[in-house]
Amino acid sequence: MSAAPQSLPGNEALFATHPPPRARRRDWVTAALLAPGVIWMTLFLVAPLLMMLYVSFWTQTTFAIKPVLTLSSWKFFFSSATYLDALWTTLRIWLITLAATLAIGYPVALYIGLFVRNKTIQTILLVACVVPFWTSFLIRVVAWRPMLGTEGAVNILLARLHLIDHPISVLLFTELSVIIGMTQIYVVFMVGPIAFMLSRVEPSLIEAARDLGAGWARILRTVILPLSLPGVVVGAIFVSVMVLGEFATPAALSGRKVNLLGNIIVTQVGSLKWAFAAVIGVVLTLIMAVVVAGLLRFVDLRREL
Amino acid sequence: MQSPLRWPLLAFMVLFLIFLYAPLGVLGVLSFQSGPEGGPQFPIVEWSTYWYRHLFGQVPPTRVAPLPIGPSLLRSLALAGMTMVTSTVLGVLAAQAFRRRFRFSGAVFYLIVLGMIVPGVLVGLGIALLANALGLERAWWGTSFVAHVLYTFPFAFLVMLAIFNRFDRSVEEAAWSLGVTPLRTFRTITLPLIFPGVLSAMLFAFTLSYDEFSRTLFTTGGAQTLPLTIYGTFAVEIHPNIFAFGVLTTLFSFSLLTVYGILMTLSVRRGRRVAMQEGI
Repeated sequence: MSAAPQSLPGNEALFATHPPPRARRRDWVTAALLAPGVIWMTLFLVAPLLMMLYVSFWTQTTFAIKPVLTLSSWKFFFSSATYLDALWTTLRIWLITLAATLAIGYPVALYIGLFVRNKTIQTILLVACVVPFWTSFLIRVVAWRPMLGTEGAVNILLARLHLIDHPISVLLFTELSVIIGMTQIYVVFMVGPIAFMLSRVEPSLIEAARDLGAGWARILRTVILPLSLPGVVVGAIFVSVMVLGEFATPAALSGRKVNLLGNIIVTQVGSLKWAFAAVIGVVLTLIMAVVVAGLLRFVDLRREL
Repeated sequence: MQSPLRWPLLAFMVLFLIFLYAPLGVLGVLSFQSGPEGGPQFPIVEWSTYWYRHLFGQVPPTRVAPLPIGPSLLRSLALAGMTMVTSTVLGVLAAQAFRRRFRFSGAVFYLIVLGMIVPGVLVGLGIALLANALGLERAWWGTSFVAHVLYTFPFAFLVMLAIFNRFDRSVEEAAWSLGVTPLRTFRTITLPLIFPGVLSAMLFAFTLSYDEFSRTLFTTGGAQTLPLTIYGTFAVEIHPNIFAFGVLTTLFSFSLLTVYGILMTLSVRRGRRVAMQEGI
């Protein structure tokens, strides 16, 4: 969401070659070219989201919703322990997963972006990170089940290495398994942007810092970290939006014990409580808007990228 | 770069790749578990292709029901095809418009990109609510289709934007100045030049739609797509037939990637041959 069209290089020169007389006709052409896409997005994205906001104020009866405006679904949300619990769980798992993807993704990006200067090896490593995405998302999620169970691969390996006597049972069908699964699936969205920013750092800059007597800890803190910050922000936006909207990973890896707001939406739709689902959808949208806006305050992406 | 960090980071990188690939490796190994009594965990009782045959209904019926993939696979392929064509056309058109500056270009850009940012569960919910309010039946070829295009069109658009950005405009201008109509110019000059980008956009759109789950959940109605069918089996006990299916669907993705690679090579080679004939 960062690469604004105005900042694309070379456009000025291209546009400059076009004299204005034909401008009016060209405006029509531009409008005609854009119309299908803009209409599609308006009808099928903007309108549905507005509809969600509207329905959140409708009256919910046992099996149906009526377009009679009321605040009762909203009041129900903020007085229901189940909903509020899901809200806290969502925020907690989001923060933990974000921290985990950053902690794991940053060193990997540091290695790929800064320490591998051979473009071919750099590409190979990045492709290696992306290849798992060619498996179905749901298959990637369920692949953690034979890994983490009490008879799973991790427990077998640890027992063989005589590191544990009894299998660890908290690995599967807990909050931990959800976090592990999500971290593995989304960490790549953190690695990519950070590695991209780091690969643009001039090696001479680090040489200079070293020549001036800075140690590696100091170079990391004062040179590398600030230069990679836009990448961290972009990665954090990707991960946050995806984790906050999740429901499949908790459903498959927590044995329905961990319920995020997304899971509650699915349950409510399943029991035809559309107005309640709409309330949660609006809450989720607001959380995301706040998170994205908050992250964007850290850096001016238009300037940095 | 020389630094005390180099070797620790390399070790971390290796561990990271294990973290990324181990579950898939374990899944692949366990898909060769014996059946029907072999469970979805180690140890492998006996190596066999039982669960692959189970997938295709080639084994006598047991308590493990076969995965109902047949019709949902066809639906998913059809849906991915429709989504691919539509989003690529929309993406090329919109990116073509972005080649010149216009008012509100920033707003239009963000409107399009919003489609890949808004989580699927919200998109699906919104579309389902709107369809219900309008009294429209939800179906994979209708509501799911529009939801998928919302998601893949931005990808196609961004790919085409990047392609047009590196595009030499003078060839088109030469055609125009020779009196060739804009439409014919697009077909004979522009399209062959941007073809690699179109191919990438199509690949993106097809694979994203084929695997799309959260946007489909609320929008399909009765007849389910493949990811929904797979998700349905998670609720109950899982069996190694899911693993066998995972291996096959991964192989399918890689064969798509191979086709893409071949088409790409041919396209590049053709471009080079044309350039040589023209003596450029």
